[in-house]
Amino acid sequence: MNAVFAATSAAGSSVTPAAGRGTASRERVELALAHQEADRIPLDLGGGLVTGMHVSSVYKLRQALGLDPAGTPVKVVEPYQMLGEIAADLMDALGVDVVGVSRPTNAYGFRNDNWKPWSAFDVPLLVPGDFPTDPEPNGDFLMYPCADRSAPACARMPKAGFYFDAIIRQDPIDDELLDVADNLEEFGPISGEAIDHIRGEVERLLPTGRAILGDFGGMSFGDVAFVPGPTLRHPKGIRDLEQWYMSLVTRPQYVYDVFDRQCEIALANLARIHAAIGDTLTAVFVTGADFGTQQGPLISPRMYRTLFKPFHVRVNEWIHANTGWKTFIHSCGSIWKLLDDIVDAGFDALNPVQTSAAEMDPERLKETYGDRIAFWGGGIDTQHVLPFGTPEEIRAMVRERLRIFGRGGGFVFNTIHNVQAGVPVENLLALYSAVDEFRAYPLGDGS
Amino acid sequence: MGTLEQLHDAVVDGRAAEAVAEATRGLDEGIPAQTLFDEGLMAAMRSVGKLFEEGEVYVPEMLVSAHAMTAALEVLRPRLVQQGGRSSGTVAIGTVKGDLHDIGKNLVSMMLQGSGFEVDDLGADVDSQRFVEAIRNGAEVVALSALLTTTMTGMQEVIGAIRDAGLRERVGIVVGGAPVTQDFADAIGADGYARDASSAVRAVEEVLGRVRAADGRRAPAR
Repeated sequence: MNAVFAATSAAGSSVTPAAGRGTASRERVELALAHQEADRIPLDLGGGLVTGMHVSSVYKLRQALGLDPAGTPVKVVEPYQMLGEIAADLMDALGVDVVGVSRPTNAYGFRNDNWKPWSAFDVPLLVPGDFPTDPEPNGDFLMYPCADRSAPACARMPKAGFYFDAIIRQDPIDDELLDVADNLEEFGPISGEAIDHIRGEVERLLPTGRAILGDFGGMSFGDVAFVPGPTLRHPKGIRDLEQWYMSLVTRPQYVYDVFDRQCEIALANLARIHAAIGDTLTAVFVTGADFGTQQGPLISPRMYRTLFKPFHVRVNEWIHANTGWKTFIHSCGSIWKLLDDIVDAGFDALNPVQTSAAEMDPERLKETYGDRIAFWGGGIDTQHVLPFGTPEEIRAMVRERLRIFGRGGGFVFNTIHNVQAGVPVENLLALYSAVDEFRAYPLGDGS
Repeated sequence: MGTLEQLHDAVVDGRAAEAVAEATRGLDEGIPAQTLFDEGLMAAMRSVGKLFEEGEVYVPEMLVSAHAMTAALEVLRPRLVQQGGRSSGTVAIGTVKGDLHDIGKNLVSMMLQGSGFEVDDLGADVDSQRFVEAIRNGAEVVALSALLTTTMTGMQEVIGAIRDAGLRERVGIVVGGAPVTQDFADAIGADGYARDASSAVRAVEEVLGRVRAADGRRAPAR
């Protein structure tokens, strides 16, 4: 048993970082992505924007682990989904192997700095200085692009909500006047300042020994989280989500041309980032566009092949030819019918492996694709079991998933997407306690 | 090919301008608005639902068809009202409080309209009391949507508010959305569950049938 769980179960008191944990993390993740068994299955929590935890859950977990005195605030490091900081002490406590590096500005185009105290979801928080903490008269919170309050608001967190969602700002669409540049305003050459920030972060994180997951944006072709243009003051082009989805059918050439130009920009940026940091990243986040719904693919396999796959292939080929980085794709939902093509597009790691969606059976996924793509996710069902199940059910599922996906390497343990708000803290403790107990190779038979 | 077939095919293929033109032409030819709706639009949406279930079309194609259908419906609507066209029933639909996700809800809303329902679309982040109001305004079925595990529990609050208002007996409640399951629907006391936009229409029809049958049984006692 990990020192933390021994300590917390005994006294609920302070935490001793597990000895030697930091030094082997990077190699552990690299072996996993190379489909080899390391000493144990690597664990990600908070390495990326889709592998983290809602700030209120981070607070409760830190308190339960005895990492902080009561009332110690937790930083909101990602204001869109209100993700909490997975700080070094929490990583040590849980044995986390992955850290993230991204651009200096967040999804709304402002920096996470000048921290100020706030309270929401019944927990004390620290939020960036530009984060809107004054509610509207109806209790909602409005986010402004680049914190510019002279522009129309770009996102809203409802009074009863737990994070922000885009406010659609769509001018009337005139097909005669539509110009691909309209949907490219948010993409452009990366600034020297951003390169310096990325280099500085890499230098800061390398000594931790953890695997670094880079997320520099710009390669998520058609990710509806960003189609509305949350950083833009007055977005042009197609920004309404229904219009966007319909454009995949009615304006495929326009969409293709947007992706084509976006891809050129992204690859030029990657070349500059790689020149600055070399092969220090273990993996890079390529795309987070969702291709699945709960019941099946969101789009047809044919549409994936004609409109998305060409760009996924181009990005993967460039990265593999020019860097030592592995490539990471995130797509929620049931994507079983698309996986032949997604795997064929050359991705190294698949996330979040939503096994709670139709046709996403863990055994079948591992059996069919396990030798060609690593599963970075699929560790626990966050839709039903983690929030609503019992600690025993969580323990059983974690044990089973480690056994199935961990076989022969090719698995980075991660919850299926971010841990949401409202998860009982006993369930969080059961989750990470089970990971700690069952992640070592050789794996048991699960009996 | 006749106007009705042309209208049907234009909607299935998602050609909105053509669907509007065919609906207009049909009215000009003296085809009753109700016939254009039943045999053109409603038949088309049934075809689209079938194609979706067979994996022949996906969400983007379904949205395109649904928008073509609603464009044509706008042409027919004044005549349908004028001629006292029959409605399948009234459904109030909304995404529950705290949840802003509405693409699935919008698709269900359009599919219901395309099946002859009057739809009172309350939008997203809808307070429980607005569903109660909608029932007082004549909704026979309430359809609740949620994408998030954190907000789907709000469905139970809506049902509680409807019960507290003394309206539970006269309304059918159908729930759906990514994290929602039949078990969850049963646990919170909903009358129906729909896994996707296509099955939502069937669920609403079934639930409405039960509500009306129960009303019929209760009627003599009043």
